[in-house]
Amino acid sequence: MNFIFSLTRREIRSSWRRLLFFFLCIALGVGSIVALRSLIQNLTRAVGTDARALLTADIELNSTADFSPTEISKIEEVISRLDIVEDRNESITTSAMASPADPANPNTRLVELKGIEPPFPLVGEFLMEDGAPFDFRLLKDHGAVVAKILLEDLKVGVGDRIRIGEAEFQIRGIFEQEPGGSSGFRLGARVFVEKSAFDTAGITRNSSRVRRVILYRTSENPTELVRQLREALQGTTVRVRSYRETQENIGEQFTRTENYLALTGLLILVLGGVGVWNVARAFVEQKRKSVAVLKCLGAGGTRIISVYLLQILTLGLVGSIFGVFLAQSGLLFVRWRFIEALPEKMSYAVGGWTAMQGVLLGVAISIIFSALPLLQVRNIKPRLLLRDENNASLRRLDPAKWLLGLVSVLALLGLAVWQAGSMIVGVFFLVGLAATAGVLYLAALLLTSILKRLKIFASFSLRQAVNSLHRPGNQTRIILLAVGLGAFVVLAVHSLQANLVREFDFTLNQRLPSLFFIDIQKSQIDELVRIIEARIGEKAETTPTVRARISHINGEAIDFQQREVREQRGQIGREFSVTYRPKLDLNETVVAGKWWETDSDVPQVSVEDEMATRLKVDVGDSITFDISGRKVTAQVANLRKIDLRNTRTAFIFVFRPGVLENAPQSFAATVLNRVPPTERQRLQRELLNIFPNIQIFDVADIVATVQRLVNNFVLAISFVGSFVILSGILILIGSIALTKSQRIYENAILKTLGARRSTLAAILLAEYGLLGFLAGVIGAGFAVLLSWSVSRFIMNIRWEFDPAITIGGIAATSLIVVLVGCLASFDVLFRKPLGTLRSQ
Amino acid sequence: MISLQNLTKTVRSGTEDLTILDDVTFEIPDGQFVALTGASGSGKSTLLGLIAGLDSPSSGTITIDGEEVTAMSEDDLAGLRSEKIGFVFQSFHLIPSLTAFENILIPMEIRGIRDAADRAEMLLADVGLVNRGHHYPTELSGGEQQRVAIARAFANQPRILLADEPTGNLDSRNGKHILELMTAMHSARSVTLVLVTHDGELASQAQRSIVLRDGLVITDEMNLVNGTGK
Repeated sequence: MNFIFSLTRREIRSSWRRLLFFFLCIALGVGSIVALRSLIQNLTRAVGTDARALLTADIELNSTADFSPTEISKIEEVISRLDIVEDRNESITTSAMASPADPANPNTRLVELKGIEPPFPLVGEFLMEDGAPFDFRLLKDHGAVVAKILLEDLKVGVGDRIRIGEAEFQIRGIFEQEPGGSSGFRLGARVFVEKSAFDTAGITRNSSRVRRVILYRTSENPTELVRQLREALQGTTVRVRSYRETQENIGEQFTRTENYLALTGLLILVLGGVGVWNVARAFVEQKRKSVAVLKCLGAGGTRIISVYLLQILTLGLVGSIFGVFLAQSGLLFVRWRFIEALPEKMSYAVGGWTAMQGVLLGVAISIIFSALPLLQVRNIKPRLLLRDENNASLRRLDPAKWLLGLVSVLALLGLAVWQAGSMIVGVFFLVGLAATAGVLYLAALLLTSILKRLKIFASFSLRQAVNSLHRPGNQTRIILLAVGLGAFVVLAVHSLQANLVREFDFTLNQRLPSLFFIDIQKSQIDELVRIIEARIGEKAETTPTVRARISHINGEAIDFQQREVREQRGQIGREFSVTYRPKLDLNETVVAGKWWETDSDVPQVSVEDEMATRLKVDVGDSITFDISGRKVTAQVANLRKIDLRNTRTAFIFVFRPGVLENAPQSFAATVLNRVPPTERQRLQRELLNIFPNIQIFDVADIVATVQRLVNNFVLAISFVGSFVILSGILILIGSIALTKSQRIYENAILKTLGARRSTLAAILLAEYGLLGFLAGVIGAGFAVLLSWSVSRFIMNIRWEFDPAITIGGIAATSLIVVLVGCLASFDVLFRKPLGTLRSQ
Repeated sequence: MISLQNLTKTVRSGTEDLTILDDVTFEIPDGQFVALTGASGSGKSTLLGLIAGLDSPSSGTITIDGEEVTAMSEDDLAGLRSEKIGFVFQSFHLIPSLTAFENILIPMEIRGIRDAADRAEMLLADVGLVNRGHHYPTELSGGEQQRVAIARAFANQPRILLADEPTGNLDSRNGKHILELMTAMHSARSVTLVLVTHDGELASQAQRSIVLRDGLVITDEMNLVNGTGK
């Protein structure tokens, strides 16, 4: 045992430089897995762990209509029966237009208005900018507490007055942290006012998108109360949710995301493992003579393997620990780069258990990937000291090797299943990885064999470079696989980004409105259209809209008690804006049934095809809508597909004329003209002065918000992709190390035969240039394929080929490979040939 | 006592079998200094390697002190070498990642000897490299490397020393010094010394001379000056 430890120590002392890449491969892999997992865990903790604070209560009852006296009495009855409610409050939220009261200030902005009453909040903190807790007196007599961004948007300050709807509010303070957090997609800045002030502002009267909420804080587990409330409120539009369910949902989502990200980390670690495998092979190759000497001196194969295994374990362990430090640096980088996109109170520290997991994974991957090369130590015969033989015996396949290979694959599967948290996902990961690697490997095989057959190169350097790609023991295919995979991930993401960004590009969608007006009353619509036409010369297109909620399908009520249905509630339980018109819109096509052309006495509705799938309805089925408490049953006449790329408005449900004309309705209006920002502001301001109840969406603002989200997403994926590229580079360096002695020998011979240093340098450049080019072609080719299929089949967006990304990607990959390859092999050019030839 | 019985070694060369050793039989009594000579390719090094258990014969047996080497497993052979055999190579074969001192230490550590460091120091002194122990092989001259190799070969006080052209890579002055060192150690410790060489002058210093040609023993005689009789 002493021998094993002392030899291990000495070996590490002298070979650490050669094993540096081993160390780096593991560190990078562990670093990425720990960083990704910690990031998502910290995010979960910052956003999702306290669903109670997110809900600001234990139970929430919400409705888009006023709570009716019957509903209130039902609720009161259940509450008093169970007697666990400690406190309650009510709030109203909606979006509304805000503008400074000062007529000289032309700014307007859409805000998310929230009317509250004391005690607020029931759960969680509400802190002002100076750190003091929120005081309800700030809202008394038309006071408002706002998010800081609004002051910048409207160019107003604390103490100034702003107009929202028909009322004026004085800004009394800026809040720092809003109860329930500020995560998620929000169109406007949050403004808090007194709940009673909502009515004075006239917003509840006209606005269609009001959400009323009753919150309860309970002294005990609210599950039973929630169950009874749901039972009592069955058939109404009131929704009941508890923080426990929210927590459950958020928890599940985050765990899933965490596990998927961990798999991305595992992918990088497995790539690191390929690097480890290469380094271990090179290491054993270089140690052949030392192993033979040790065997000659009496050390058995098992003892020698133990020495190298211990060495691998030590390096794996230290590399993994270094990886944890890398992860911590990565998180600090994330804080520096993405802080604005992430929750305020998020921690950027690596978790203890996550770090331990990372170290464990790192060591496991070190062993799994070096086991097979190390096994070769057994086959090294001491007789090679007398007569140097080729490595036939080293390459021979024996049962032990097959067995160990099988154990390694099973161990890898175990790690994948562990990291994915699911057997199926783990298996898919490994099979997917093997399939991708197989396809890339085949592509590499094909390209190199084509290159070999071409033989059209006039230049000696190029011919030699092509030969080098085929030299015995070459690493060409492994390098192409690893670097190609890195290029593939990064280029696929960039190609997708380009297509996504194009999708939101104004210039391509001629029918995307620039301004969108809603909540226009019937009495206001003509005047509004006239003013818009006078100002910008375009007649706005108007559409009547009616708020409706689905209550029954084929006579059966939607049962939100069912979990599956409840999970889809966001899509099917919400209130829809529906319209009625005699004609199909330009961007619509009927995919089933027929569009109405003649009059009919039966109420009919046209359903968007994806919604039809979700609701499991087809032509001929009936859907019952709840429209302001009145039930309207309509027969599904047809299913429509909406081309969102060419859309002006997109209605999920369109009724046949003659059904909804007398229902309570408002109008929406759209204009297409691209109006300069100042004119747009002026028009909005003027319209709000005349019609304070309407809401205006400036589509440019929304597109900018979406683009920001897309860009952050792309940046995040590119960040992960860069880890993959780095692993590819490490594998490249490891592979170069593996074939270096051969290159030195070849160069010595070429020098003896009269090759100049410049010729050798040209061969080096040409070899890595070719290698990089082929890796780039493979990566870019498959990236184009992936981005096309994702755009076409998953995102359903139009796809265009981006020559800049593809050509740039190939060029960048070639450059990286040339740089890394030449830097790692440059010293070879300066070796004296005699010493090399003698030592062979 | 080393005993070789009908030892044959054939290897595959392309499509043909090539006989390197052909029915070799002889014995080497304990403490004898034997020179194995012959032209290049005569089978000298192969024979030496077979005695050390570095390779296995195609047929025939080798026994050392009554133990049949040719029937041993790899690990048993390693044990045998650790205990009884020291080996010196033409190209030294020191472990490049270890210092001279550590190279000498290694065989003793493999065998599990406790006070190995003191003995390694002593052996370094024996070969005249007291101040060079901390140097790596690449920092030593050829002669110095071979001296380290000899010290390493003697580390476990082997009863048999096998040397494969130990002076082949050295100039004549260093070669002479190495030979003196080996013969001195041979007489001081009375080990069996089998020396492969094609240097006639070197061979003449041995007690017995065996000449190989094309794998066959063509001469096996005692040296009149040094020999004491077979």
